[in-house]
Amino acid sequence: MKLAIRHETVYRYDSPARRSTQTLRMTPRDSAHQRIASWRLTLPGPASAHVDGFGNAVHLMTLDAPHEEIRLLAEGVVETQGGGWHDDAGRLDPRVFCRATALTRPDDAIRALARAAADAHPAAPLDALAALSAAVLAAMPYTPGRTDAATGAAAALALGAGVCQDHTQVFLAACRALGHPARYVSGYLLNDDADHAASHAWAEVWQDGAWHGFDISNQRAPDAHHLKLAVGLDYLDACPVRGVRLGGDGERLAARADVRPLEQ
Amino acid sequence: MHALTLPERGHFDEMLLQSGAVRSQYQGFSEWLQAQSPEVLHRKREEANQLFHRVGITFSVYGDDAGAERLIPFDTIPRIVPAAEWQTLEVGLKQRVRALNAFLHDIYHDHEIVKAGVIPAGPVFGNAQYQPMMQDVDLPDRIYAHIAGVDIIRHADGGCYVLEDNLRVPSGVSYMLENRKMMMRLFPELFARHAVAPVDHYPALLLDTLRKASRVANPTVVVLTPGHFNSAYFEHAFLAQQMGVELVEGRDLFVRDDHVYMRTTAGHKRVDVIYRRIDDTFLDPLAFRPDSLLGVPGLMSVYRQGKVVLTNAIGTGVADDKSIYPYVPAMIRFYLDEEPILSNVETWLCREPEQLDYVLRHLPELVVKEVHGAGGYGMLIGPAATRAEIDAFRARLIADPAGYIAQPTLCLSSCPTFVEGGIAPRHIDLRPFVLSSGQDIKLVAGGLTRVALKAGSLVVNSSQGGGTKDTWVLED
Repeated sequence: MKLAIRHETVYRYDSPARRSTQTLRMTPRDSAHQRIASWRLTLPGPASAHVDGFGNAVHLMTLDAPHEEIRLLAEGVVETQGGGWHDDAGRLDPRVFCRATALTRPDDAIRALARAAADAHPAAPLDALAALSAAVLAAMPYTPGRTDAATGAAAALALGAGVCQDHTQVFLAACRALGHPARYVSGYLLNDDADHAASHAWAEVWQDGAWHGFDISNQRAPDAHHLKLAVGLDYLDACPVRGVRLGGDGERLAARADVRPLEQ
Repeated sequence: MHALTLPERGHFDEMLLQSGAVRSQYQGFSEWLQAQSPEVLHRKREEANQLFHRVGITFSVYGDDAGAERLIPFDTIPRIVPAAEWQTLEVGLKQRVRALNAFLHDIYHDHEIVKAGVIPAGPVFGNAQYQPMMQDVDLPDRIYAHIAGVDIIRHADGGCYVLEDNLRVPSGVSYMLENRKMMMRLFPELFARHAVAPVDHYPALLLDTLRKASRVANPTVVVLTPGHFNSAYFEHAFLAQQMGVELVEGRDLFVRDDHVYMRTTAGHKRVDVIYRRIDDTFLDPLAFRPDSLLGVPGLMSVYRQGKVVLTNAIGTGVADDKSIYPYVPAMIRFYLDEEPILSNVETWLCREPEQLDYVLRHLPELVVKEVHGAGGYGMLIGPAATRAEIDAFRARLIADPAGYIAQPTLCLSSCPTFVEGGIAPRHIDLRPFVLSSGQDIKLVAGGLTRVALKAGSLVVNSSQGGGTKDTWVLED
């Protein structure tokens, strides 16, 4: 399927910020699943491109003149495959993705979810993972506004609420507690449901020599509606924008991602 | 006359044989010592203390509420190493550090040693010190640990063993330099009577190593410190001053257009080499801990593009981890096709069920250490522990076997040391500093000798009440 993406992110500050440094993971890369037909970033300052240790395309942008807003625009066309695709390991050993991070540290509740799913399907790890995915969503229905980027997996599960990022991080923490390498995926989703943002997150688990996708929030395997931007151990590794600034006081963020299918 | 307490039976003393006879390398020192009056030596020790206070060599101890900073006790009896023994150590250390650098390059590129089954994947890729951000970063001359501090002990059998490799931000070299300066000031006549290999060129060698680490001609080098509250701040300031380079904190540096710059009174200056004394996870809030205020935002991106050199590299901690340590001899064979010159201490990996079983059955005679621990914290010394302490440790081991290794209780060699009421043997170790560049690997002769000042204690860490001595390598 051919998808057209337009993703605009605007940060506005209460007073001019003196300098900002941002790392942007807003550029998809070719893979078994997707081919980039065209892509363009429009940024307010100079940025250099490189590839990080996870294989993500990263832009480092520095602004050192006073600024009251930062406007980032990513747009392009990507051709995606239907279901059944699996990315390979790439250069990094998948066992790197067994470790807990600050955002994916398991607690007893997460371990219990993991154990219950594994026990229900002792001979079929992929079935156990699907059951785990269902259990995570059941335990924390999609609820915007209750969590933020700093909410860890255990805290989100305790709240019983969250968005795709929380679902994914709880799922990752549980998978790793079972010893499965599991990674965070940030991307876009073509979605008819206006309640769900087009910016999306899901998980991949290493099984039988390939990465298997689990879209926990939507209870399905990623397919042609999904477009991958970046992967990592958790949200912080893969999120589209990470930045620090000097000055500027309060910040207001407006982000809008539109994904629409193009006629074949 | 000074009465020297003889070493305990079965211990190796650097100066004295069991009979009370003096080893040949200590002959001259011993004669000199016996000719000194106790009052004069006492006065010299007082003088040393006052001078160290005045230069401000202090060390803050974490978790010690009473005194934030204290002096590391300095002992005026040197540890003397014969030339031939040092030559073997030097060759062995160079070999070891060469292999460790080759290992780091490999595990951040093609993972050959894991694929070959020489080292299991778990302790490498599952290690929290393994930094995925380092995969496929091509460093100049493939050097990761430009500065290594390798802890060496001598066992009762007289042989030297490597206890630990320190490849992150090894400290202590300032004490090596200041101890020598102090000895030369207090006892100039000793240096007229002995051909002691110099150490005072270390800052020049370090600067040369840092400059060679960059592909840039005439690179700008800085020392990056977390700040004055850090336990080793004195050393950061000292080395920067000795090398004649800027001492900076994270807020003095910034990233612009793919390069790192420092703010100076004369404007912005590009920085090519950062001798960083900050842990990996604090280096860049955009790549590691987002709450770090000590680092430089964007530094990791610049580093991945090869536009700045960090010494040591990010991610070296995986190679000096206690779970990797047992495999260093195998690394030497794998990468260099050589037999290891220096021996490792026998080590049981508690994550292996059979080895854990052995450890649990022999706890009263073993030393058990946390895999990720440092500074002498969180360890069990079986022979010195109470029944209750051993039982408590047993429970911790069973709960998290992969978190621990065990080693035989080593009988560190002793060296005569001034104590209350005379001179008595105290246990010591040695930390030589190994400087690696693409062209060569260099050491100054000797290193830092640490001494456990409590009678019978085997813990030499300064955070645990250890002191230091000057280390003499005698030239032929």
